[in-house]
Amino acid sequence: MTARQQAVTWGRRLAAMTWKEVLQLSRDVPLLLFLLYSFSLSVVVSGAGITMQLTNAELLVHDADHSHSSRELIHRFQPPYFKFAGEISDPREGLRQLDQGKVMVLLEIPPRFHEALMSGERTAVQLLVDTTNAPQGLSAAGYSVRIAGLFGTETGLASAGLSGAPVTLPLVSSAHRVWFNPTQDERWFQSIAHVLRMTTIFAVLLPAAALVREKERGTVEQLLVSPLSPFQIMFSKVLAMSGVILIALSLALYGVLHPVFHVPMKGSTALFFLLTTLHVFTTAGFGLVAATIAKNQAQVGMMTLFVVGPMLLLSGITSPYESMPQWVQTIMTFSPLRYYIDITYGVMLKGAGLDLLWKPVVAMLLLGGALFGFGMWRFRRQFQ
Amino acid sequence: MTRPAASPPEVVVRLSGFVKRYKQHLAVDSLDLTVQRGEIYGLIGPDGAGKSSVMKAIAGVLRYDGGSAEVFGTLVDSERAAERVKPRIGFLPQGLGLNLYPELSVEENIDFFARLRLVPKPELHERKSRLLAITRLDRFRGRLMKQLSGGMKQKLGLICTLIHEPELAILDEPTTGVDPVSRRDFWAILAEWQADKGMTALVSTAYMDEAARFHRLSFLSHGRVLASGTPADVQSLVPGLVVTFESSPQLEAVARLKRRYAQVESLGPLLHVFTPEREPEAAVAGIRQALEHLPVEQVHADEPELEDVVVALLLKEREEQLGESAGSDHSARLAGRQQLDGLAVEAKGLIRDFGSFRAVDRVSFDMKQGEIFGLLGANGAGKTTVIKMLNGIVPPTAGEGRVAGADMRTAGGAIKERIGYMSQAFSLYLDLTVIENIRLFAGIYGLARRQAQQRMKWIVEMAGLTGYEDDRTGRLPMGVRQRLALGCALVHSPRVLFLDEPTSGVDPIGRRRFWELLSRLAREEGVAILITTHYLSEAEHCDRLALMYAGRIVAEGTPADLKRQVERDIGQLLEVVVDKPGVALTHVVTAGFAGAALFGTKIHVLSRNPGRDEGRLRDVLARSGIAVGAVRTRTLSLEDVFVSRVMALEQAARKEGQP
Repeated sequence: MTARQQAVTWGRRLAAMTWKEVLQLSRDVPLLLFLLYSFSLSVVVSGAGITMQLTNAELLVHDADHSHSSRELIHRFQPPYFKFAGEISDPREGLRQLDQGKVMVLLEIPPRFHEALMSGERTAVQLLVDTTNAPQGLSAAGYSVRIAGLFGTETGLASAGLSGAPVTLPLVSSAHRVWFNPTQDERWFQSIAHVLRMTTIFAVLLPAAALVREKERGTVEQLLVSPLSPFQIMFSKVLAMSGVILIALSLALYGVLHPVFHVPMKGSTALFFLLTTLHVFTTAGFGLVAATIAKNQAQVGMMTLFVVGPMLLLSGITSPYESMPQWVQTIMTFSPLRYYIDITYGVMLKGAGLDLLWKPVVAMLLLGGALFGFGMWRFRRQFQ
Repeated sequence: MTRPAASPPEVVVRLSGFVKRYKQHLAVDSLDLTVQRGEIYGLIGPDGAGKSSVMKAIAGVLRYDGGSAEVFGTLVDSERAAERVKPRIGFLPQGLGLNLYPELSVEENIDFFARLRLVPKPELHERKSRLLAITRLDRFRGRLMKQLSGGMKQKLGLICTLIHEPELAILDEPTTGVDPVSRRDFWAILAEWQADKGMTALVSTAYMDEAARFHRLSFLSHGRVLASGTPADVQSLVPGLVVTFESSPQLEAVARLKRRYAQVESLGPLLHVFTPEREPEAAVAGIRQALEHLPVEQVHADEPELEDVVVALLLKEREEQLGESAGSDHSARLAGRQQLDGLAVEAKGLIRDFGSFRAVDRVSFDMKQGEIFGLLGANGAGKTTVIKMLNGIVPPTAGEGRVAGADMRTAGGAIKERIGYMSQAFSLYLDLTVIENIRLFAGIYGLARRQAQQRMKWIVEMAGLTGYEDDRTGRLPMGVRQRLALGCALVHSPRVLFLDEPTSGVDPIGRRRFWELLSRLAREEGVAILITTHYLSEAEHCDRLALMYAGRIVAEGTPADLKRQVERDIGQLLEVVVDKPGVALTHVVTAGFAGAALFGTKIHVLSRNPGRDEGRLRDVLARSGIAVGAVRTRTLSLEDVFVSRVMALEQAARKEGQP
């Protein structure tokens, strides 16, 4: 047999196996429905529903002054961040409502507030914030401090008679311009993050389940006595499942992200899909390794949960990667998702190309190669 | 405890007009059945005949749709009624060791079931040691269930079912996939418990040769009873003789015989024909006429076995089944006939160790092209490991071999392209259609599209899959699936075919058809076939056999050779018909007769001197007041050969173990 014939036969084998995987998946209606849901409706829900921004924080006011200034200050706590929940006369009532979780912020304005301001004395307001939900509470506190601070500065300037006149005080004015997501639409981040999560979960689960099913049913024996190499057996699964995931991803991209959330594609679409393929391939390596250890689908499901769970939580879509302790960051260098996040946000929102992204790409290639090699070694070993 | 013989038989189970439906599918169609106390009652029939549904309903774990099921006189029609009967019942569901807990040891499993059934400690202790002794599991008390072989698991399953001494044991295909020796142990417990405790048993089986062990039986097909009564009753339904002879060329002879007879089988060099004539002369004359000028040698005419009768009954029911394959005999022939000469497999001193355990020990044998070679042995004897080594899945620890002309150790890849393999687990993709499966394997073996199309046509015709092409494999009957699996193993025209227990769970007609295919492959295409099986009646089809025990080949030869060897060693088989078989057996055993075993109402004994032993037997039994009917010598079956060989070896091993 010539080298060319050999290559043709090799390709035919891989093609036959890959097509088989596609056929089998196409017969698995519940799984297909789940896949469809995960890349369509569920993206809409998480894009629209999940938000970390402060919205509608219930604000309770105890105004002991009832002056022009106090009303002016209260008026500055505006929707969508704050929602006025009413005024009370007894400060203890405010504490009670905070305890019950009915309101989030309690603003107390002392008596003689207006008088003090007008006479140039120092005065203070008290702000009590429930930070049980830490990110929300901290945002609420931050916003309130800024609102109160700005109010103080402006009132101070006005009382010094400087309002309206050209200001020549040495003030630092912070005019910021938002890049990459100019409207600061958080739904971009959340919907993309959800697509990344789903891509990762299916990339681990689909090939792993396909391989374990062959073990469970005993069909793998038939494949082992055929001239297929372990690489062909395993790679055909990754190939087929990558195809399916890419199709599902296009559905999410062109069916949800673009039309519903207006997420842009600043960089090259081809590059994005190419690098997604690389991510799926690398992540599938974890699944295949798990599949060579597990004996049945229940076990492989449980094992992938162990791998995928931390990956999703710690790779940087749920919480910022940079703020995690060093040792967690070190472990997460083995998570392909960590690189894929950089790549996706880079290509989609920043329009980055390979010249900027080559580092995560190389890291993923190395990781994927190592995992695949280890999986193949395990696969060969387990049947001897 | 012996009951007075005159008392009227008490009915333990009575089904009348029993109907069970699964959605649209009618599984059991107005079935009537009565089982009397102290009987071992058999349900036999092909896959999907409704046996399991009947057994589950009687055990009170399945609701039914019509008619009535009475157990111990209680109408089982509600969960509450079922609860009342359940304490008196033991139920062993189908499947090897499915009722057991893999993580518990043998003893823990037994204790668990005993506690569940509130068996008092002293009784538990006594029964446990007795049951463990009969089944020879006593040495493995501490072993985890998951580490037992299939046969041991099933014996343990039976112990756990019997530990509370149920009055009625319901056993669903307890011997499927179990090796012949374990199967004998299994029957020994049942016979002992029945004789000793007066237990009643309802047992289903796919092994027709076991049917002779039942007192009475019903033969089910498509949810209806085709025949019922004692084995002799059923046998008399289809009168006739089985004529065995040699003729050549064999394929031509088969083709001619098939025009006239419905049941023609080739068993290695022999042909086996079921004739409706009752006189041997007339039967042989008919065969000579059908064969025209072909020679007829070594003719024997015997009483038919139950299996022949059952197949005849099934054929009457669906006549078309076997007929069509006779028609397609010649149309489906491989284009390129393969070379018939040369060795297909050559194994020399193969050894395989797993850790400190030697699974295969110095195995050597040869196989010629066109030969059907049977590898027999109990579960765990090393058969599968031998096949895996020859297939290149498992590297041998030592030894060498050539398969299809390639060296096993260096040319694994070449071997894989030249062999076909079909494993014991049905290993096709159930969610793909018939054609998709064949196309997949054509692709795996690298066939080009045109070639693949040709082979596909050939396989569909050869395996009789016409009409099933676009059906999902999971929806096909077992027999058809098995032929598809064979077809897929043949997609690349391999020179050697390895079949590892290919017919487990296939009904008798399906098995016969499968074997017909195999012998055509061997004779016409010159394919060498290596097969392992637990159905020893099937092993008769092989040209040569090797018997494995504890990793070694302990006997090798043609089926006739093996039988002759054993007859020389242990004697011939005497069958004794008696009126009180349970009691009779005890007397026969105490009188020192070798290999005494109970087969329904008959006792089998081995004898080196049949003439003298017949007299002795009659004496012994007459003195105990037992009426003796006919005493006949029977030819040993391969199962007898297998069991006696393995038992002798086990005894020797035990002596070695405890000097």
